[in-house]
Amino acid sequence: MLLQLKGIQKRFGGVVALRDGNLGVNAGEVHLLMGENGAGKSTLMKIVAGMQMADGGEMLWKGQPARFRNPSEAARNGIAMVHQESLLAPHLSVAENIFLGREERLPLGWVNRSKMVREAAKLIEEHRFPLQAHWRVEKLSPAGKQLVEICRAIQQGSSLLIFDEPTSSLSEAETKEVFRIVKALCARGIGVIYITHRLEELRVIGDRVTVLRDGQTVHSGPLGDLTTQQLIHHMVGREVTAIYQRDPLPPGEELLRVHNVTRAPALHDISFTLRSGEIVGMAGLVGAGRTELCRAIFGVDPIDSGQIWIEGKQVKVRSPREAVRAGVALIPEDRQKTGLATALPIAYNLTMASLPRVSRFGFLRLSTERSIAGEYTKKLRIKADSPKQRAGRLSGGNQQKVVIAKWLVRGARVFLFDEPTRGIDVGAKVEVFEVMDSLVRGGAAILMVSSEMSELLQVADRILVMRQGRLTGELPGHTTQEQIMRYAAFDMTTTEERAE
Amino acid sequence: MIQRLLPFFTLIALFIILAIASPNFLTSTNLSSVVRQTAVINIMALGMTLIIISGGIDLSVGSILALGGLIGATAMEKKWGIPAGIAVGLLIGTACGFANGLMITSLRINPFIVTLGTMGIFRGLALIFSNGLPVHDIPPSFSYLGEGTLLGVPFVLWILLFCAVLMHILLEHTRLGRYAFSIGSNPDAAFYAGVPVRFDTIAVYSIAGLLTGLAGMIEASRLMTGQPTGGQGYELQAIAAVVIGGGSLRGGEGSVLGTLVGAFIMGLLSNGSDLLGTNPYWQQVIIGAVIILAVSVDELRKRRMSS
Repeated sequence: MLLQLKGIQKRFGGVVALRDGNLGVNAGEVHLLMGENGAGKSTLMKIVAGMQMADGGEMLWKGQPARFRNPSEAARNGIAMVHQESLLAPHLSVAENIFLGREERLPLGWVNRSKMVREAAKLIEEHRFPLQAHWRVEKLSPAGKQLVEICRAIQQGSSLLIFDEPTSSLSEAETKEVFRIVKALCARGIGVIYITHRLEELRVIGDRVTVLRDGQTVHSGPLGDLTTQQLIHHMVGREVTAIYQRDPLPPGEELLRVHNVTRAPALHDISFTLRSGEIVGMAGLVGAGRTELCRAIFGVDPIDSGQIWIEGKQVKVRSPREAVRAGVALIPEDRQKTGLATALPIAYNLTMASLPRVSRFGFLRLSTERSIAGEYTKKLRIKADSPKQRAGRLSGGNQQKVVIAKWLVRGARVFLFDEPTRGIDVGAKVEVFEVMDSLVRGGAAILMVSSEMSELLQVADRILVMRQGRLTGELPGHTTQEQIMRYAAFDMTTTEERAE
Repeated sequence: MIQRLLPFFTLIALFIILAIASPNFLTSTNLSSVVRQTAVINIMALGMTLIIISGGIDLSVGSILALGGLIGATAMEKKWGIPAGIAVGLLIGTACGFANGLMITSLRINPFIVTLGTMGIFRGLALIFSNGLPVHDIPPSFSYLGEGTLLGVPFVLWILLFCAVLMHILLEHTRLGRYAFSIGSNPDAAFYAGVPVRFDTIAVYSIAGLLTGLAGMIEASRLMTGQPTGGQGYELQAIAAVVIGGGSLRGGEGSVLGTLVGAFIMGLLSNGSDLLGTNPYWQQVIIGAVIILAVSVDELRKRRMSS
């Protein structure tokens, strides 16, 4: 066995990413690694590739105990990773990237450029890659960049290649090309670990599969023995740990209507509505286009076609400013980057979207601001010494409450929550859900994007599912994780029958 | 808190040391000359404070000062009268700032690059406009602006105080000022909150341009010349004043009081070295060291606060 992982553990602060990671990969096989978002797949692979250190467990590499402290140590031992997001130097040539860090040297530290180009060209020729050694990497497509990473791995003499969702940004033809290459590598005795969500791919490329759930290996074995149904079952498990329950409200008037919204390449023909009193969940895998949808509705990215109605009026939202004016609020995925001015006081953050309300003729009414800040820190139970405290010093959950409170002050009615519970602890999560519930009770409507399906099941009245930029399903709030996963991960319309 | 007040203590300590070390320091002639020397930089630095708080920078203010002063002086040479001449100077300064803001927001280029470009452009325009020659024929009474005295103190001190109070109110009590803090602290968050980022950025640079135009007229009045080559290196002194006073080039931080203190620290250092007969070349070394020291102390404070 080429690589064996036994009981790998990894914690990040208080969060357990891996509790029992097991995996065995043979030379010359394509081993699929599957699991939901956050199941621990990437962490496990980073440990193998030396990008992270395990806290516990054992790793055997070619039968010997191994522990790689950094990626170059792993690379020297023959392990290479082809990343989802390219880690190449964009301004350098294909050849220079293949040899980056291991340049052919001449005396006096001169780089032997012609030899590098020659060798790179030979490598490309040998594998029939559609590349030229002198091309600049920034001009390449995502597929081309992956080929460069593969070249790099081959040139290093790697015996194990890890692919992290390599086809997520590729066209069909490019995907086929990647498959051809992966198979050719296996034929030479190289082991491949392949992370993917796409069922149609699994059957084409995979030999064996390992499924992770909540940081644990729950299944490992030949792919042929499994039905799709069993695979989904392994991925999502049975038990749903309910921490919160809410009573649905009768939906009121329509607050948001999205009609045939398209923005290439992320969004295709999206249509749905939000009514007052509703929390509508939005499920999907990473990269399905959920964040892009929020950004489009909020006017950050312009849409190519389609219409948006807010409170019954058709609006053209060309900027967040116009969205805010129309009564839309976005609680972004990346709080620190786009939601909060961390260096400014809490009070400044709370009134940031509502300054016209706390000023007269352009002059601020600081006493009004103080009373608003006092009122909302109390209302949302924001734990802070005073509203003058810098927002960046609050805990994750309290920061999130500040971001939400900013929109309460503004009086928005359509709320787009993008991963509202990311990075906050369980207690604060419940508080965020309570705030969301009181919002819809006050007549607002919420679109809640979340990658944690169990959360959506607890909070949402309806659940929309996106896959590759399209809405693929609408499910009732009391659906199951299996159902969501079917629509989120697999193309229900074309490949389901073939696969089963 | 103590570290935040460090610039104040430094200024007071410097003042006391100079008062003891040099008998000529605490004379009204010397003190008014310090005020007059510092006022030009100080007024520019007020505008720079606003820009730096909004997360920007303006390298072109030295050139704007020259262009505004020159064209204002030319207007007076052409017998437009003193008030009209001053108005022309202010207008030119505002227009230059407006142009900076417009380019930064519409071309979406880093303000450092834009104002590095306009630093050359405005300077070049001043030289073209004047054929490289200074303008001398200015009504004598214009000298009151820079050299006059009102109620026993230099007139420029009143102007400086007036501008400082206005800038303080702008920063702490108006929507525009608050938006400047928001944009400087986190431009994305401000944009997502519906802050009119583009409009405010242009306003910020225009206001700074207006103040620089005023500084240009004061400089012209003190020298009784419109100098196309004037104000070189002033931009760096203005930035230094803001930074010594606690402004952060990362944006979102800075205050009028801090900037005033920063500018006066530099003014006293240079005046003190003159009085004590320090080699003028050493002055530059000392001021440079003070900038680095002030900023490193401030960074230390922030790092301790965030941990």
